[in-house]
Amino acid sequence: MLLVAPERSLGSRPMATRHETTEEKLAWLRELGEAAAHAGSEKAIARQHERGKLLARERIELLLDAGSFVELDRFVRHRETEFGMREKRPWGDAVVTGYGTVFGRPVCVFSQDFTVFGGSLSEVFAEKVCKVMDMAVRVGCPVVGINDSGGARIQEGVVSLAGYAEIFWRNVQASGVVPQVSLVMGPCAGGAVYSPAITDFVLMTEGSSYMFITGPDVVKTVTGEDVSFEELGGAAAHATKSGVAHLVAPDEQACIDDARYLLTFLPQNNLETAPYAAPTDPADRESPELDTLIPDSPHKPYDMKRVIETVVDEGAFLEIQPRHAENIVCGFARLGGHAVGVVGNQPSALAGVLDIDASVKAARFVRTCDAFNVPLLTFVDVPGFLPGTAQEWGGIIRHGAKLLYAYAEATVPKLTVVTRKAYGGAYDVMSSKHIRADVNVAWPTAEVAVMGPDGAVNIVFRHELEETDDPKARRAELIADYKERFANPYSAAERGYVDDVIEPRRTRPYLVRALEATLTKREPGPKRKHGNIPL
Amino acid sequence: MPPFSKVLVANRGEIAIRVFRTLRELGIGCVAVYSEVDRGRAHVRAADEAYLVGPGPAAESYLRGDIIVETALRAGAEAIHPGYGFLAENAAFARLVEEAGLTWVGPPPDAIELMGTKTAARRIMQEAGVPIVPGAVDPVGSPAEVNALGDEIGYPLILKAAAGGGGKGMEIVRGPDEAERAFEAATRQGEKYFADPAVYVERYLEDPRHVEVQVLADAYGNAIHLGERDCTIQRRHQKLVEETPSPAVDDALRARIGQIAVDAARAAGYRSAGTVEGLLTPEGEYFFMEMNTRIQVEHTVTEAVTGLDLVREQILVAAGEPLSLAQQDVVLRGHAIECRINAEDVAKGFLPAPGRITAYREPAGPGVRVDSGVEAGDEVSGLYDPMIAKLIVHDVDRERAIARMLRALAEFRIEGPRTLLGFHRALLEHPCFVCGETCEGVVESEELAKRADELEEPFSHKTTSMTRGPDGVLPTVPRIVGVEVDGRSFDVRLHVTEPPWAGLGRRRRERGGSGAAVGANGAVLSPMQGTVLKVAVAEGDAVDAGQLLLVVEAMKMENEIVAPRVGVVRELAVTPGAGVTSGQLLCLVADPDGE
Repeated sequence: MLLVAPERSLGSRPMATRHETTEEKLAWLRELGEAAAHAGSEKAIARQHERGKLLARERIELLLDAGSFVELDRFVRHRETEFGMREKRPWGDAVVTGYGTVFGRPVCVFSQDFTVFGGSLSEVFAEKVCKVMDMAVRVGCPVVGINDSGGARIQEGVVSLAGYAEIFWRNVQASGVVPQVSLVMGPCAGGAVYSPAITDFVLMTEGSSYMFITGPDVVKTVTGEDVSFEELGGAAAHATKSGVAHLVAPDEQACIDDARYLLTFLPQNNLETAPYAAPTDPADRESPELDTLIPDSPHKPYDMKRVIETVVDEGAFLEIQPRHAENIVCGFARLGGHAVGVVGNQPSALAGVLDIDASVKAARFVRTCDAFNVPLLTFVDVPGFLPGTAQEWGGIIRHGAKLLYAYAEATVPKLTVVTRKAYGGAYDVMSSKHIRADVNVAWPTAEVAVMGPDGAVNIVFRHELEETDDPKARRAELIADYKERFANPYSAAERGYVDDVIEPRRTRPYLVRALEATLTKREPGPKRKHGNIPL
Repeated sequence: MPPFSKVLVANRGEIAIRVFRTLRELGIGCVAVYSEVDRGRAHVRAADEAYLVGPGPAAESYLRGDIIVETALRAGAEAIHPGYGFLAENAAFARLVEEAGLTWVGPPPDAIELMGTKTAARRIMQEAGVPIVPGAVDPVGSPAEVNALGDEIGYPLILKAAAGGGGKGMEIVRGPDEAERAFEAATRQGEKYFADPAVYVERYLEDPRHVEVQVLADAYGNAIHLGERDCTIQRRHQKLVEETPSPAVDDALRARIGQIAVDAARAAGYRSAGTVEGLLTPEGEYFFMEMNTRIQVEHTVTEAVTGLDLVREQILVAAGEPLSLAQQDVVLRGHAIECRINAEDVAKGFLPAPGRITAYREPAGPGVRVDSGVEAGDEVSGLYDPMIAKLIVHDVDRERAIARMLRALAEFRIEGPRTLLGFHRALLEHPCFVCGETCEGVVESEELAKRADELEEPFSHKTTSMTRGPDGVLPTVPRIVGVEVDGRSFDVRLHVTEPPWAGLGRRRRERGGSGAAVGANGAVLSPMQGTVLKVAVAEGDAVDAGQLLLVVEAMKMENEIVAPRVGVVRELAVTPGAGVTSGQLLCLVADPDGE
């Protein structure tokens, strides 16, 4: 902690008025409070609004339940004297911190104030943030950080860097203890990006936020690439290419709404479960449309999100990273009123294959759910891992292993529905019975097998096919035979690898009952410092 | 011996099921066709065999005459019944059917063609002595010609696009000074919507009743009429309520307009069931408007009062049999009303309200008939007509039929999408309807919409967009629950509390996923890396939202790329076999008006 005694007491600055009587003292408090509430200059405020950005306090007002915000440290001021800083010591410095409630549940919050010193991070700024984070961990409530900052306060030098590191350290200490949500609503560059990066969720606004390690100018000098701020680190780039942003919203109001909504799927801390809400959707609702969803041809895609939305309560599904690695769908929903994390292979994007991005995306999501006691619901239609040098050299072995590790490690209730393909190693990875899923069911359209019929026949009957007179006809015959024997869920069901084969329309009632039966699951593992996930 | 062994019905939903019922009674095999979104639907299950004819949009499935004929041949069907809508009044399709050696259950293609062209139809009718609304039989060529006609037959006039329909391309001219503007507007719209700028002029009748006559004709020159149907209750030229007999038609008038209709059918060389639509003025003048060369949605009310099965007559006539009855055998008994139960939101100007039907129970009991093609769990697709069901009642007179309809409407339970159930209840108890007036201005009034809302609400999910109010009150969703108190049963409206964040989730869904595959200006981008397998459209093609544009294959999966909106295909940049990368521009779906 950076605890340095203040050089000057509050009263040491030259004051025009005296504060001797109680009335005067109360007036003084009000006066200081006013000054703290309006620390940014009018010009800076106008510029903030021109850019479609709200002020730090306005954002907090939107985030928290009306009137619930309690501010901390509004009279904290920086102690820097160099570079003429002694004359500019606004109350509260460049960050607003405090606590309040979201849908009645306590939340700690800090909101960087771009209108004061460009939101730059000073020693006291860091102390304020650390203080509110410490409080969140102590009381066990989520932390929401609203980022809008020009970076380190250069005038303070290394002290500012120390402040960042103090925050990073706390982000790590709080990780897996209380949910941490980062809203990026302005610049967040250089080392500063690592605080949001460590948190559980990063939300960005389109057009007014960007995150990068080095900006376009440096990029140009070092690599010669010409790239704009938006292209390099805007919300779109992080929503699609990098996967840094979990949710992206068109404006700040929507972004804050998303954060409020997201918190409803998460518990206050790792010892609790997410809030239960009596569903308005009947638990026994059947979905006849699922009986006709799977196309007859294995080469025809369908939308796994439709399956998810049909099964979950009220069709409400909060998809996470919807535009990154679209071949896997991750998100939150409720089932029978209980929050669940849903993972599904997406046949309509790259056939739902597992590649590096999809593995990492889903692994992170599975671990987030496990850390916060959110049961996992997995819909499987996976043809396998993506072949090719780009994938192999890019480390699909390491990255694919992350997803396997995450699923195997997760001790929350795990429910799995195989809708169509579950081939090869990818079958094992996708919450299979063998890595301790609790309830596994398959639709009659499921094909649980080592590989697809074409590939299997080519290998198993290679010699026979070389020798026969009419290899084409024989091949077709063998494929048909293989399909009949293995392209179904029954060889897996024979061995109990799936608990049952169910009519698709019955999926929701089945899952609601399975979830309610497994909610009390306890699975203590061996004692260890921590596992060694192949990062 | 059945007249055919198998008949294919080139339609979906209730009318397909309706036709199957008659086919079964005649001992004929039923063949259904369906689109991808109709897999497993009621009409598919009602048939003996069913065949997939293409993707969801009608243009690629139910309107693909070639595929349907091919399917009929494949199924070994001997005839095709078109139902109504889709290909029912498409002469080219009828010819295609006949050329394939199949029987067309409908009028001769020439008659369809003749009646499809308004000016030609008018001329033929005029020659046959059928009264038509005063006006020009030939298209008018200038505003001056319009004024000349105005002087001759009197104002107001109406200008209609010759190829028009559904209210498009119609302009009213109240005096000579309006001719120029109206002429231009009607020509322009005719050109734009029907690719035919020809317009004709007729006298505009104020507050007329829409009265149509059902006719039956066979191949031997026999033609009879089965009385009239009153379809005055419409909004935007779409019928909502139909009844027979018309409150404005007595026996003498019926005999007169029936004769007009029979004359019209003969003039057109008509065969099969058809409808002569006309306008009845408050003074009792009756004018021919057009002839519908198909079975109509509202044929059911005629069936109720005549006791006949019109589809059966259609099939037997198509099989070459003479009509089963003569004019003097036709007896009209009692009064019948039909209400169309559409998934539409009255409060939003009858906007289609597609959605999933979460609960469904049809009314029954004496004198009640329901023709429907849905069940609980079905999705009312935005791709097709939003009609869920037709509710028909029959009783001894109009007053009792109205009472019966109100009873049946209250019994009908549809949860999920907004429907017209409440609207019909509001309308049928409104004094204008009770007195048999035209209800002009009432149908689309706010007052009626409000009353409809009150009446419908108890059996319909109201989606509320409230979040926790400033007073801290939690939003609720009403649910109807049956309870028993002291041995007496009550329906209780239970206000189930929604979680306070339910509104956030809904708002988020409304905001929608920002459509990865749709760029600005209707740009269609490839959602993945892959190979173009098929290009289903050509440069300049007009497409509907959801229509198939291309198929991109990736990882052996055939991903269909559909049009993000209505528009015209431009800058089609790929051909089959081409490799594409994720985010690559495939084509634009340009705004058809924005050029």
